[in-house]
Amino acid sequence: MDINSYISSGIIELYVMGMCSPEEEKELELLRRQHPALHDAVLQYETELEANMQKNSTLPPADVDNRILQSLDALQTPVIDINKNKKNRQWLRPVAAASILLLAVSAFYNYTFLKKIKNQELALKSSPGTAATLPAADYIILNKPTITPVAMYGVGTHAICRCTMFWDKSTGKMYIIIHHLPKSSAAKDYQLWAEVDGKPVNVGIIKDEIRGRFIEMPNVPAGSIAFTVTLENAGGTTRPTVEETYLSGKI
Amino acid sequence: MEQQSSYTETELIDGLKSHSNEAYRYLYMNYRCSLYNNILQVIPDTETANDVLQEVFITIWQNIDKYDATKGRLFTWMLKLTRNAAINKTRSKVYKSQQKNDDISNYVSVIEHNRNEQPAINQIGLRTQVHRLREDYKNVLELSYFEGFTQEEISKALNVPLGTVKTRLRNAIIELRKQFV
Repeated sequence: MDINSYISSGIIELYVMGMCSPEEEKELELLRRQHPALHDAVLQYETELEANMQKNSTLPPADVDNRILQSLDALQTPVIDINKNKKNRQWLRPVAAASILLLAVSAFYNYTFLKKIKNQELALKSSPGTAATLPAADYIILNKPTITPVAMYGVGTHAICRCTMFWDKSTGKMYIIIHHLPKSSAAKDYQLWAEVDGKPVNVGIIKDEIRGRFIEMPNVPAGSIAFTVTLENAGGTTRPTVEETYLSGKI
Repeated sequence: MEQQSSYTETELIDGLKSHSNEAYRYLYMNYRCSLYNNILQVIPDTETANDVLQEVFITIWQNIDKYDATKGRLFTWMLKLTRNAAINKTRSKVYKSQQKNDDISNYVSVIEHNRNEQPAINQIGLRTQVHRLREDYKNVLELSYFEGFTQEEISKALNVPLGTVKTRLRNAIIELRKQFV
């Protein structure tokens, strides 16, 4: 094969930009291992393309930056799989016990010191329901010292979802701001559940139009310790579909 | 935004593969503008484009283990993810119903659409560069790069032999490279 005419045929450009057929791709990947000149030419085009694209740029809105950076941060949260490594490792038990103790202490500190700051940040910075865009009356409630924010994080594959609930200790009222939750189809509704005495209690349907607004949720039962949002058939249900949990958070 | 430290490409990739928070922030701050511009070239609606940008960075986080540095630069890989995400979005039912698009399988209408209406883009970008090319080059690149059709599909849509599509695409992309800034 005349590698020079192959290099100048346009195939490199199509390959880099993802417009080759799978066969052409395979051929190029094989040839680039045999011909350093081809390999270099691919890198050269990639560099030129990157420079061209970096010059053609558009700044996303600042609230989008915040939203995406927060969702990337949220992905960092480690997932502990308790079913993993369940083999016979008796000698690890004291180590495990010590680790759990350390984890608990650390969790306690995280909880006490970080939760409030984090939740406030989430509530104030997230979009579209940023405090700056809320009506003044809502903003006053949000900033009452008796307000405890409850951050609700996306569950599993819905990691990018976010909402914050606000519990006013002085009045017992509960409020919610939906920051990010994909629109439900006509056949589905999001439903909010409270956990009371270890059992889920229906709070109500979350309507699409309340997104980004500061809304009072009137039916939150006393003694709620945690909340979840599930996706259910339109109109809601009497028992949450656990597999369809989108958000969860604890007071 | 706080001052970010600087990374070499290798350091950045290592950081991304170990899911370092700082590396992802750096990646986002450095590449968001060009990837966002690329999304807007395909999806002019900023609300949808914003969502796609988020999807792209989450996909990068989730799939970084699949990135193979011997196959190409990080940016090339991210650009492919971005293009796929944007094209997939335009093919989704929700987006199509919002845009009241014709059936995407109706290739002729796509070409007519492209001929009659300039895409509503305010941003200078790759699409602007493609639109400076001669008509037949522009058409194949539109269908291939921005609409995501295979060479076979384009051959059927334009009713020209596959060989002609291949030649035209190769010539078109060589011309496009000359437009690079």
